[in-house]
Amino acid sequence: MAKHHDHDHVDRSGDRSFDQGPPSEYEIMSRAMQELLIEKGVINADQIRSRMEQFDADLPYRGPRVIARAWSDAAFKQRLLANGRTACEEFGLDMEAEKLVAVENTPQVHNVIVCTLCSCYPRALLGMPPTWYKSENYRRRVVREPRAVLREFGTVIPDSVTVRVHDSNADMRYVVVPMRPAGTEGWSEDKLAGIITRDALVGVTLPRAS
Amino acid sequence: MGGEPGGPIDTADHGMKFWEKQANALRNTLTRRKVVRLDELRRAAEDLGDNYLKLEYFERTTHALRVVLLERGFFTEAELTAKMAEVRKRHG
Repeated sequence: MAKHHDHDHVDRSGDRSFDQGPPSEYEIMSRAMQELLIEKGVINADQIRSRMEQFDADLPYRGPRVIARAWSDAAFKQRLLANGRTACEEFGLDMEAEKLVAVENTPQVHNVIVCTLCSCYPRALLGMPPTWYKSENYRRRVVREPRAVLREFGTVIPDSVTVRVHDSNADMRYVVVPMRPAGTEGWSEDKLAGIITRDALVGVTLPRAS
Repeated sequence: MGGEPGGPIDTADHGMKFWEKQANALRNTLTRRKVVRLDELRRAAEDLGDNYLKLEYFERTTHALRVVLLERGFFTEAELTAKMAEVRKRHG
């Protein structure tokens, strides 16, 4: 498991305005729609640019900060579990109006999230979903055989622990609050955030102290 | 598709191409500004039927955006065709 600073959303095409090779029809279609909407004044180019930057530079790191606060501040955790959106707003995060349900892992219950409809995901906390989250196989199987799916991510949940799968939708997103690992006593929120990965907040892995 | 049988999951994250990031930012800007709604985009994607699984994720979302923007009259089919020809020429 990579650290959260580099685990996610890596643009493997490098920092340039076009991908290698000839553009596909859909790429051309997307760019043409964008240009038409800009010409007609529906949107402007700055909105697209700043949104791209935000997805790379800001959104993916919000989730670990929020969960590190929850691990450090019991009162904040209670507020987060009671109302994810208002708790995040109190933390200074604009949650873009979606309802956020934080589900807490305990010694008795492990939580995992999916969107069987499409790819609804807590983007305001985690940025873009990873490829597998959008894959047909994950969406098909995790609701039917979550323990087998978790094993494919290297996560073995004992039979004595209940596994709950939460199916997201356009208006309601979930985030998992993992259990704080042993060996992290006295850690700062920054240090805690460093071991909180996207995959752990989706529920397919567990955070570790090292 | 939830609950249907499926094969092994590729647990690697393959990241996003530049055009996918741009397409995502476009869709996101439009939903955030309430120009289009997520539900109608999903409906347009599901109307693909058997073709749904033949397209990659951002091809599907781009298709859905095209359907909804045309329905809403933000541009016409002819305008889009002409603009696509222009873009193709520029980058081809």
